[in-house]
Parts: sequence; C-alpha cells; structure tokens
Amino acid sequence: MKIGVFVCHCGENIGKTVDCATVAQRAAKIPGVAYSVDNKYMCSDPGQNVIKNAIREKKLDAVVVASCSPHMHEKTFRKAAADAGINKYLCEIANVREQCSWVHDNIPDATDKALDLVRIAVEKVKRNIPLTAIRVPVTKRALVIGGGISGIQAALDIANSGFEVVLVEKEPSIGGHMSQLSETFPTLDCSQCILTPRMVEVYQHPKIKLLTYSEVEKVEGFIGNFTVTIKKKARSIDEEKCTGCGLCIQKCPIKKKAFNEFEEGLATRPAIYVPFPQAVPNIPVIDRSVCTYYQTGKCQMCLKVCGREAILFEQQDTLVTEEVGSIVIATGYKLYSIDKKPEDSEIKGYGEYGYGKYKDVIDGLQFERIASASGPTNGEILRPSDKTQPKKIVFIQCVGSRDEQKGFSYCSKICCMYTAKHAMLYKHKVHDGEAYVFYMDIRAGGKMYEEFVRRAIEEDGVKYIRGRVSKIYRQNGKYIVKGEDTIAGMPVVIDADMVVLATAMVAQPNASKLAQTIGVPYDKYGFYQEVHPKLRPVEVSTAGVFLAGACQSPKDIPESVAMASAAAAKSLVLFGSDYLEREPTVAVVNEANCAGCFYCLKVCPYNAIEKKEVKNKLGEIIDYIAHVNAGLCQGCGTCNATCPSKSIELIGFNDEQIYAEINAFSESFV
Amino acid sequence: MNELREKAKELLLNNTVKLIIGYANGNGHNRTYPFIARNAADANRLVFNEYCVNNLAVYLTRKEFKGKGIIGIVAKGCDVKAIIQLIQENQINKDEVYIIGMNCNGAVNQLDNSFEKTTLAQKCINCTVRTPALYHALIGTTKDIEEPADTLGEKIKEVEKLNADSRWDFWEAQFEKCIKCYACRQVCPLCYCEQCIVDKTVPRWIESSAHTRGNFSWNIIRAFHLSGRCIGCGECERVCPMDIPLSMLNRKMSIIAKKEFDYSAGVSLDSPTLVGTYNMKDRQDFIK
Repeated sequence: MKIGVFVCHCGENIGKTVDCATVAQRAAKIPGVAYSVDNKYMCSDPGQNVIKNAIREKKLDAVVVASCSPHMHEKTFRKAAADAGINKYLCEIANVREQCSWVHDNIPDATDKALDLVRIAVEKVKRNIPLTAIRVPVTKRALVIGGGISGIQAALDIANSGFEVVLVEKEPSIGGHMSQLSETFPTLDCSQCILTPRMVEVYQHPKIKLLTYSEVEKVEGFIGNFTVTIKKKARSIDEEKCTGCGLCIQKCPIKKKAFNEFEEGLATRPAIYVPFPQAVPNIPVIDRSVCTYYQTGKCQMCLKVCGREAILFEQQDTLVTEEVGSIVIATGYKLYSIDKKPEDSEIKGYGEYGYGKYKDVIDGLQFERIASASGPTNGEILRPSDKTQPKKIVFIQCVGSRDEQKGFSYCSKICCMYTAKHAMLYKHKVHDGEAYVFYMDIRAGGKMYEEFVRRAIEEDGVKYIRGRVSKIYRQNGKYIVKGEDTIAGMPVVIDADMVVLATAMVAQPNASKLAQTIGVPYDKYGFYQEVHPKLRPVEVSTAGVFLAGACQSPKDIPESVAMASAAAAKSLVLFGSDYLEREPTVAVVNEANCAGCFYCLKVCPYNAIEKKEVKNKLGEIIDYIAHVNAGLCQGCGTCNATCPSKSIELIGFNDEQIYAEINAFSESFV
Repeated sequence: MNELREKAKELLLNNTVKLIIGYANGNGHNRTYPFIARNAADANRLVFNEYCVNNLAVYLTRKEFKGKGIIGIVAKGCDVKAIIQLIQENQINKDEVYIIGMNCNGAVNQLDNSFEKTTLAQKCINCTVRTPALYHALIGTTKDIEEPADTLGEKIKEVEKLNADSRWDFWEAQFEKCIKCYACRQVCPLCYCEQCIVDKTVPRWIESSAHTRGNFSWNIIRAFHLSGRCIGCGECERVCPMDIPLSMLNRKMSIIAKKEFDYSAGVSLDSPTLVGTYNMKDRQDFIK
C-alpha cells in the first residue's frame, strides 16, 4: 500500500508550534509512506490540488492529512481524495491543530507529537477498507414544534415549497409571545396587525396540519425518517363541531377567578376561554383546574348554551403519530420570573425590587399588555394597582441579564430596544409624564436600532441614567427607586408611580425535557446548542433537527424570523433528494462469536440493536444473537465498548484499526 | 437425600425434565462430582451434602443442553444466583430450566487437602441465600450453623490499606503464579462467551504466554468482565491450581457495585443488570 502524508500549516495555526516541514520529512520514513509533503493551506484549492495530483502521479492507495479536527475538514479532504479516484474512506485525518499545536507551546515537543499523530493515522489507514455510503429514503414532511412567530415562519416557508408540515403548539392558540406585544421596534407597527395574517395563513394552508394544545411526547428514528408521537391534550371541545361563536365563554359563570396567561395576570378569564380574540384556531378550551363542573360535578352551563353540542366533558388526551423527515424546534423563551428564587437554581433573584409584592412593579410583557390596544386597559397607560395614570415611570434594564452575581451572565439582547420602545410608547400616550431608564450600556446593534434609541432620548425626552438600582420601596404612595448615576457619580432617588423591569429572557422551563426527548444538546441555561456558532447556527448535532428563534438564545423578531427561514431552508435541502447518504461507519455483529447476552441492546442509545433468531437446518430456533439495524445506528460505538467478547465492531473503527493506532502510539515510548 | 431422589425420579418419569444436573458420590474422601441423571436409575445415585460445593449452573449454557428442552438442576442458593444472572443475560430461557432448590447448611472447603477436616467454604460465610431466591421445588431444611470469621473480607481490608506500590507488588506476586490454564474461565458459570477475548488474535488483546504482563491483563480484564455480574460462588478460586486469591478481586468489585450503584448481581429476576442500565442518578463526578 502506498500512502501519502500531507501536512498542513493552517497558516500560523499549526505552523507556529509544529515544524511542519520536519514532520513531513520524518513521516516519509514511516513504513508504507510513499510520498509526504507540507503546505501552507491544505484546504485551499491549490492545497487540495497537491493531494489530488499526488494521488494520481504517485499512484497512492491512501492518504493521511495532518490538519485541523476531522469535524472541520474531513469532508473536504475525503472529497478531494475521491475526486482523485480513491475511496474516500481511505483518507484519514491526523488532528495536529486542536489536539496538538493549539494546546502546546514547545516546538520540538509539539513536532514530535504531531509526528506521533501522523504515525497513528498511517497505521490506521493501512487497515482501512473502501466503504460505500448507506442510502436511506427521505420522508418529505416536516415537524415544527412551537407556533410562535419562528414556528409560523418555518412552517409557512416549508409548506409554500410544496411539502407537508405538522405544526405542534402546546398552548390553545398559535401566535406565541409576539401576539402579546403592543407595538414592535424599530418601526412601531402593531404586532397583532402583522402577525395575525400569518396565523390565518397557517390555519388555512392546505399543506399545514395544525395541532394546538398538543405536545411532543416521543421522537424515534433518524434524519429523514423520524416517527413522532404527539399528545393532543383534551380541550373538552369537539373541534369539528365548534363554530367558535363564543357563547359558552360569555355564559361561563367563572368570570373573575382564572389567571389570564395571555394578559400576564393583569386580567382574569372564564374557565372556558380562547386566549385572545384573534386566536387560531378560534376554538375554546376548558381549564379543568378552575371549571366548576370538573371541581364539583355541577354547572355544565357551556353545554347548555352550546347549540352544536360541542362540549365534551369526558374527552381524553389522545396520542397521534406522525412520520416526518425533519424537525424544526421553535419553542421560544420565557421571561425570567424575578419574584421568587426558583427551586434548584443558582439564581439569587431580585427581592429588593419588590416584584410580586408591589402591584405596580411589573415586567416587560405586562407593560406590553398595558400598552396594547386590546389589553386590559385598552391601551391606556394605567397602573395595575389603582388604574391611575402614572406620571413618573422608571424602566430598569438588565434585570437578571448580564449579572453573574444574581442572575445570568448572558445579555438578553432585546431589552435595550424594547425598553426604549416602552419609554417611547409611554411618552406618546402620557405627554406630561416623565420616563427614566436605568441602563448599563445601550446595545442597539441592528438596522435602525441605534437611531430608534436616539429618538427616544432626543425627540421623546426619555431620561437615560447609566447605573443600577439598589432598592425599590413604598413611601407616601410612591415607589422610591434608589439607584446610582455612574456618569455623574451621584446617587439617584426617583419617586416613581410605576416601575417596569426588563427581565432576562430564559429558556422554557421544560426545554431540557424536550431536548432529551429529541436528543438535542443544550447549554447550562437550557438554550439549545447549535453545532457551530458561526457556520452551522441552525443545526444541532442530531442530524435532521434544526433550531429557529429564541429557543437557541435570546433573539428579537427579525432575527427569529430569519433563523426560521434558515431552518426551513435546511429542511428543504433535505427534501431536495429522494435518498440520504449516510456514513457507512456503523456497528456490525460477528454472528459466529455473539453469545447473545444483549448488553449491546441495553446500552444502545438509538434502539438500533435487535434480537435475531438463529435457526438450525430443521428451521427450529436454537438461539438468539444481536443484529444491528444500519438505518438506525449512528456509529457511536457504545456497543463495542460494552461487548465482553468483542463480537460487535464499528466498521471503519474496528478493533484491529484501533489496536494498530494504540500500538503505533506506544512505539513513541520505546 | 431420599426426598431429592424421589423428586428427581418423579420429574424424569413424568417427563417434566429431560435430564437433571446434580451431584453423585465420588471415589472416597466424601467427594462428590457433577453428575447427569437421565433416568430413574440415575436418579438413585443423586446426592446432596456439604461436599456439594460445585456450582453446576456452568453446565446450563453447554451446547449439548441449551435449547434441548427443560433441564433440571440441583442448585444451592448461590448457584441459583448464577442461574438468575444467566436468565437476565439471555443465556438460558427461564421456562427451560427446572430448579430443584436445596436448602443449604453450608458447603465444605475442599481446597483443604485433608478431606477429614470440615471447614466451611469461604463463600458460605455471611450467606444470605441459604434458601434459594428462585426454585420450582424446594428440598431439605436449613439449620443454624457456626460461621467462622470472614477472613476474605479481612484480607481485602488489609490489602486496601497498602499504598499503590505495595498493592502492585502484592498482585504481581499473585499473578506471577498464573499458568494461563483458564480453569477459572471454564468453571465460571458467567464466562459463556463463544470466543473469549483472550483467544482473539485479530488483534490480540491479551498476551497469552504466561508471563506477568499478559497475566495481569488476563486476570484484571476477567475481573472487569465480571464486575456487576459475579455472584460470588468462588469457583474460580477453588479450581485455581496456583492458589491465586481471585475471590479478593471479585468480592472487591461487588463491594464497589454495592457501594456506588446499590447493586448486587443475581438477586432477583426483576432487577436490571448493572452494566446496561442507565440511571439519571448514576454518579457523574468521575467525568472531568
């Protein structure tokens, strides 16, 4: 076997700590190496041509590229090798960047280690065999989880390309947080006015199957072939019969008891309700936790007034199964609840701001509802406690955000903008009012964003104070806000009528549960983790699953929409071909040796191992052995590590290859 | 003894079982040896007494018995633990084994060359399964027995006290003796692999020549392969011609399994296997 070794400098990245020329020279002496060379940028076009030409001219059988992590450029180099006519699995990467040059500073030692890594890869590639990709069919149908603006956008983009979409929303209506907003920055257009047409479009789209009041229970399968089990929670309403007339809602005797989630607790709702007038679908739901019938067995007023007999008190949760090829997660965010310290959380909270204790200390979403024309005050700025117009209002930014001591270290990104918007809306509605904003810095990066904040300050006269607030307390009917103006270097005391806290955006409370259901990594805050922060921002490590919107990190509407379209585009890329090529590096059982203990079956995270019958000549079952479903196997190798008799191997990483690598490495000690 | 023979005869005559794996009297010195009873006459040769120290569960996975109908087995509580483990590991079908459970009053340590002396076998000290946990028929009664001190436990504690170097020296001296006869593997009911890792040549994981390095690999890997699985029958140590204290390794592994995962092998058919069970509460602190 003639092996070529190609050592990349990666500019300075490798070349600075590894003497690449020496590595190439010394690699030439490794038995089996027929050609060896270094290059400034192996991944560049000329660099790849060096590999291709060498394969052709030197008649190489296999190549080793000493470069960055295989995550980075294994595909590039394998393609180059394939272009030059050798099987791409006869190209191995020796990672001399992440695992060598970046972590060492001593040149001779790093050079020795780089050579070790090359020698290991050479010994492996000697034992590699040509492999062909596994082809699996693609189900050209997408699941979108979350019916906020991100989910709506992703669903519409995929459906408008002609593919079916299943849109799952856990609330009774789609719309998400955007449906709660009054106006949107930086143009101050009405949130509902731009959102509701999209909601209706989703509802009427022939390619979109909308499942509201539903949650994803289980996800099985793999890219192109997911089987999703969705729980449709009991609405207690026959969705077919209900016309959405709303009579039941008007007649429900429980008017003033139930917490109104849509109004962020600033109003109440009946036990049978639609979250807001433009809800999609316009079908009510019974909140069984407050409904008199479910609590006492009496009432049934809604049933009596319903002309269509659409009330189903006995309705049960049902499970629906859907086959899809891709999954877009757009589950959004929640606002950090500052009133009390969450259980098992390191967050210390902001008790000193009196949220939850003082009715007029509210959060951003509550202010949105107060400012909204459809909100509890019909758009008049009135404080919740006594419905009077606040003449002095204080906005506090970064409550929870950018605060390692008491909150989260990340920036919630949208608060600078929405606080400016809130202050502006306030000034537009209360002309003689005074608005103060406590801020740390203004982060208004974005088209027309900085201009928007300047407008709030310069045209609308909002007073910005750089500093933090230490305490809020009541005195003579006022809220005394004690803070510091760090520019003036002076303490500030404002006797406000109302305080709005720009609290941090946090991950949905059950984000980790969904992540574990689908197999999506998440960061320590519960936000879903993309594969690459720059180059693969909407993909996750589970192939075929994409992210959209604030479930990945705090985001505003334009960013969420853009990301949703990107996630849709990624799904469409998948649907562009009838078959998917999968890596052939899957596990395979040595059937003669398998003792059938099925420890592999127990440890396989992908349910890829099955029991296979062993029959004798008479067709009688005499034993069971393990069998790998190559369609499900992800090549993680857990089974290999578990099998006591080493009867299961990973193609492309078999025992012989790994052993050869270990042996090659140990040579450096003798 | 009559009770056992009658039961065996009954099972064989009415075809409940194809054959019965049990014990018969050996040639003098009260010795017993494994014996396969296939008919009523054979059944009369079956015995059970304190010399029946062998763990017969090892025969259940033999090709000549497996899948050939229901096999009867004379089993002490400790042997039943191995049977439970074998059922859990899919090596035997629980419907294809008929356990004649023996109430046991301890077996004799046959390592002692003077067969006159009857010292209780190490595995019988602090025994919790003198009545088997699983059986189809139960024979005999248990009575109070006098238990000597747990010398194995004490020995483990002594070695634990040594520093790493001295521990290494201790085991080096032990493993040096190993002649790679693999009697430990052959007698172990849980060493049922079609091809043992030590017999693999592509690649050769364990050097098979009998020198210390390969001996270390062999004995340590075997201990690891048995961790969370060994039921502590002590057969490996009993048959070792070089007197390597293998029970120390296996007992230590089961102490760790108990301490870290609250797991004991072969206790119940319902408890999941240790390896192969993922629990969110499993320790994570070793992941750095």
